[in-house]
Formats: sequence, C-alpha cells, structure tokens
Amino acid sequence: MYKLRDSTFQNYQKEVIRKSDGVVIPFDGENTDYQEYLKWVDEGNTAEAAD
Amino acid sequence: MSKLKTNTIQHTGGSADNITLDNSQNVTAEGNLTVDGNLTVSGTSTISGYNPTSSRNNRNLIINGACNVAQRGTSSTSSNYATVDRFKLNTTGTDEAPTQAQVDVGSSDLPFTKGLTKAYKITNGNQTSGAGSGDRIVIQHRLEAQDIRNSGWNYTSTSSYVTLSFYVKSSVAQNFFGKVKTSDGTSQNYPFETGSLSADTWTKITKTISGNSNLQFDHNNGQGLEIEFTIFRGTDETGSVTLNQWAAFSGSTHTPDNTSTWYTTNDATLEITGVQLEVGSVATDFEHKSYGDELARCQRYYERNTCTWAGYTAASQGNGSLRVYYNTTKRAAATLSVVTAATSVQNLTSQNLGDAKVDGFVVDTRIGSSGYGRFYDLLAASDAEL
Repeated sequence: MYKLRDSTFQNYQKEVIRKSDGVVIPFDGENTDYQEYLKWVDEGNTAEAAD
Repeated sequence: MSKLKTNTIQHTGGSADNITLDNSQNVTAEGNLTVDGNLTVSGTSTISGYNPTSSRNNRNLIINGACNVAQRGTSSTSSNYATVDRFKLNTTGTDEAPTQAQVDVGSSDLPFTKGLTKAYKITNGNQTSGAGSGDRIVIQHRLEAQDIRNSGWNYTSTSSYVTLSFYVKSSVAQNFFGKVKTSDGTSQNYPFETGSLSADTWTKITKTISGNSNLQFDHNNGQGLEIEFTIFRGTDETGSVTLNQWAAFSGSTHTPDNTSTWYTTNDATLEITGVQLEVGSVATDFEHKSYGDELARCQRYYERNTCTWAGYTAASQGNGSLRVYYNTTKRAAATLSVVTAATSVQNLTSQNLGDAKVDGFVVDTRIGSSGYGRFYDLLAASDAEL
C-alpha cells in the first residue's frame, strides 16, 4: 500500500509513495495523507522499504 | 417668504424636544433620524456604533462559497476533493458512486438573481441494496483552526454568534440534516436541519450558531471547524442528538436519524451554492469575490503547475533538478502527483516529484546518457487539503 523513498538529493526530505495512485507524500505532520499513513502504520502495517 | 425662528421643535403629543437648534447653524435630532431618500454629507462623518455588516470585507470564512473555482475538473465519480475546490464529497457504502459536478445555475433561479451562477451538484447513483446502516453521502467544508480562532468570533461566549447561510435545491422533497463540528480539545458538534425542502426549489437556509465554553480553536493550520451538509448517513452514525445546540461529538450520533428518500432515489440530485459563514447573528448578502481572489484562496490547499526543464551532461549519465515555486504558499507540505505526463521527453530515464515544502517542490530528472535531456509541460498537482 505504501513504499518509502530515500533522499535522492542531499536536501531531500523523506517521502512515502502511496502505491494505489503513485502520489508522493511528504513527512509533514500537517499533511492529511501523511496522517493517514501514520494511522495505517499504527494499525500494525509496514511500508515497503526504499529501493 | 416667511422664516420660522425657534430654538426647539417638539411633537404635539411629546414631552421632550425632537429637534434642537443653536445659534451656530447646528441641528440636533434628539431621537432616531430616518431618511427615506439619499443622505449627502459634505463634511466629515463621525458615526459611533456604526456596524457595517453588509459591507465588511472578508467576512465570509468559507472559501469558494460561490463554487466558481474547480481546478480539478467539473465532473467526477470520485469521492473526496474532485471538482469544486474546498468542497469534499465524503462517501462510503454506496452501490454505485454518486457524481459530483460544478454546474450552472439557471438564470431564473433564486441564486442566480443574487449573483451566484455556479453550484456544486451531487447526483446519486443507483443504491440497489437500499439505505444501509453504514452508508454515507455527505458534503464537507473544512476550515483551519487559526482562521476561526482569529475571525472575531468570541467563540467561548454564548452571546457571540456566527451565522451559516447557503442556498440548496434537492430533486426530492425532504428534510436534510447538517452539522458544524470542532476538532481541537474535546470535539464538539452542532447538528442542524434544513427543514422540509420542496422538490426542485432553491431555498436559502440560515443558521445562527452561538459560542460555547467548550469550544477550542488552536492557533495552527490544522482542521478547526468542519461544516457538513448531510445528504445521507446510515444509522451507524446517527441517533439521539439534539438539534441547534453544542454537545460533545460522538461518531455514532453525527445527526438524528436521516430520511432515506433521496438516498434510495436513483439519480436524485442535490445542489448547493452561496455558502457563507460569518461572525454575527445576521446572515448578510453573499460576499462576492473576483475569480482571481478566490482562486488564490483555494490554492493554499490545491494548486497545479506546469513544469518544463532542459539540461546537459557530458558524462554517460547525469542528474538535474527543477524547483517549482507556488503561486500561493501552501497550508502544509503538499502531496504531489502528476496530472499529465510531460511531452517531448528526450534522453531522460526518470522525472520524480519530491521535496515538497510549503512554497514549492522539485522535479528530479535523470539523464540517461551524455548530451541534452529535456521535458515539456509536465502538469503537477500539489494537495494540502484538510
């Protein structure tokens, strides 16, 4: 459902890809998609590791 | 020509002066002064207690209440934010997805006569299994906590008010519920109803809502207030709850039990426009804004950007990056997506969106071999909705 993505540039922040639609979700606590991701993790799920 | 010389004028039945004159050409109306015609003041006006309710700028706390902005498109069978900006269609349990759309208001319809020419329209699907207890079709509009906290509403006072007004039309005659819900502290809920709507008839609904000592709005960009227009919620989410007063929110009692007539009518429609939330106990005329002003307000939550880039590498492969700056600073770092892939992609192995900040994002490119790499017109979307 989610896949992590590592930095590709020095200043890149961590990001997570939602696999269902390919959107890029920033690690920002005020982003509602990130809040959904955290809820999903709290339910015991684990995102795929970055390549 | 005769001249009346007097110091005061008093009604024959009165006991006090109505008008007082002095020897410096001053006139004082001792009571209320009503002017049926125009009033022209050549000098300076000093008006104590002036309450310019209908001319106060930025009094509408709702963004895109006239439904003029639809950055994502004008029709969709998706739920969530998909057409009219800032209006979210929240659905679950449907047998056939409803359609949401930005539509024209008929030129003889009530909203049109008030300058409201667009509306947000929901068209029901065919709910073949009937109204399930877990089913839901609702329209939601979410506001930042800091914008309510700093609106001028003394929200912890029962004698301070906000007023919600909107125009609504349903193809099915029915009473609909709605609610206003807070998020900070202990969430509070204020359910209301439209009253019985006549089929296919635009009706203006007005709800004046008092403050309450239990309300809390933090000084931040998180969700503070949610206004919901409940088309249908099943009994899993409805029950015993008192209308028109604040109470602690419960997920099992958003509103009283809903009538299911609209929900079980195939292709039933509901339209809404002219949504306004303002401080005070009076619903003033809708505050119209230019398209550009409203678009900028919407772009705090959603924006599309066209990206073009070209670069060169002498090595067998190289990287390039394009930082795109927004027209409007986002509420939070945005979720990024590609709306339309780039055209004329040359010599690139990837173009990834990333590094979202409130002021922009990066398109990261990889050039596959030595030489020029480029792409044109990648349309990216940034979503920072509540």
